[in-house]
Amino acid sequence: MQMLSFLDTFTAFPLAELEVGKHFYWEIGNLKLHGQVFITSWIVIAILLTASVLATRNIQRVPQGIQNVMEYALEFVRDIAKNQLGEKEYRPWLPFIGTLFLFIFVSNWSGALIPWRLIELPEGELAAPTSDINTTVALALLTSLAYFYAGFSKRGLGYFSKYVEPTPILLPIAILEDFTKPLSLSFRLFGNILADELVVAVLVLLVPLFVPIPVMLLGLFTSAIQALVFATLAGAYIHEAVEGHGGEEHEAH
Amino acid sequence: MFDFDATLPLMAIQFLILMVLLNRLFFKPLMKTLDERDSYIRSNQVDAQERLAKAQRLIQQYEEELAASRREAQALVASAEEEAQKIAAQRLAEAQQEAQARREQAQQELDRQKAEAMQALEQQVDALSRQILDKVLGASVG
Repeated sequence: MQMLSFLDTFTAFPLAELEVGKHFYWEIGNLKLHGQVFITSWIVIAILLTASVLATRNIQRVPQGIQNVMEYALEFVRDIAKNQLGEKEYRPWLPFIGTLFLFIFVSNWSGALIPWRLIELPEGELAAPTSDINTTVALALLTSLAYFYAGFSKRGLGYFSKYVEPTPILLPIAILEDFTKPLSLSFRLFGNILADELVVAVLVLLVPLFVPIPVMLLGLFTSAIQALVFATLAGAYIHEAVEGHGGEEHEAH
Repeated sequence: MFDFDATLPLMAIQFLILMVLLNRLFFKPLMKTLDERDSYIRSNQVDAQERLAKAQRLIQQYEEELAASRREAQALVASAEEEAQKIAAQRLAEAQQEAQARREQAQQELDRQKAEAMQALEQQVDALSRQILDKVLGASVG
C-alpha cells in the first residue's frame, strides 16, 4: 500500500497516521507473530470473559443489568444458530457459532470504537483483530473444520456422498466449494473491516473533524453485519454438512 | 498485507480456548438459566390456567345456585301473595256476611218495634175513638 504513503505529507495530527502492511513483530523461536493482533485480541477476549463472569456471577431468575445484556446476546446468537441448524441440532454448535459471532462482533466494534491508534507501538499500529488476514483465515479454517467434523460425526463416510449426490458431474464444483467457502468467509470479513478502517483513517487524515462521523457510523453498521454474516454462514455450512443435500443454499454478501 | 505466519495457528488455538472458556462461563450457565426460566414459566402458566378453570367452574356453580335461589324466592313470594289474597278475600267475605247479619237483625228489631208501636197505637186509637165518641155522643145521649 505504498500508494497511500503520499498522504503522510499531510500528517499534522497524531491520529492521522496511516500504516498498512506494517506489523509489530514478536518472535518466538523462529516463529514470527503479529504482536498488535494478539494485543487487541487479548483485550477483546478479556472484555468477553469479564462480561460473561459478571453476567453469570449471580444468576437471578429475573435478569438485571449485565445479566440481562448477556442474556440478550445469548438469545441473539441462539436465534442465529437455531435459524440455521434447526431446533434439534443447534445446541452442540451454539458455543462455536456464538463464540464466532461474539468474538468477531466485539473485535470489529473495538476497531471502530476504541481509539487504538492513540497507543504508540514501535512499529505498526493497533487495530481490530479482524482486520488482519491471519485472524480471519484462522476463523474461516476453523469453520471448515467444524463443518467437516459435523458431517463426519453425523453421517460417517456417507458424508462424501454429498459430492456426487445430485450428479457426479458437479464433483469438481463440490470439491471447489470446500475451498471457496473458507476463502470467501475470510476475505469478506478481512476486506470489509480493513476497508472500513482505511476509509475512516483516510477521512480523518483529510478532514479531522465531524466529516468522518457518518462513515464511522456506517462502519459500525457494516462491522455488525459482517459478524452476523460470518456466524450465519458458519451455521449454514454446518447445517448443510449435517443435513446433506436438499437444504437450500445460504449465500449472502 | 497478506503475510501469513504463526499468527494464524495461534489465533485458531486462542479462539478454541476462548470457545471452551465461554462455553463454561457463558453459554452453559445462561442456557441453563433460560431453560429453567422457560420451564418455570410454563409450569406457572399451567398452574394459572388450572386455577382459572377452577375459578370459572366456581363462578358457574355460584351463578347456578344464585339462579336457583332466585327462583325459589320468587316462588315463595308468589305463594305468599296468593295466600295473602286468599286471606284477604276470606276476611272480606266474613265481614260482609257479618254486616249482612247485623243489618238483618237491625231490620227485624225495627220491624218488631214498629209492630209494637202500631199495636200500642191501635189500642190508643180505640180508647181515643171511644172518648171522642163519648164526648160527641155522650151529650146527646146523656
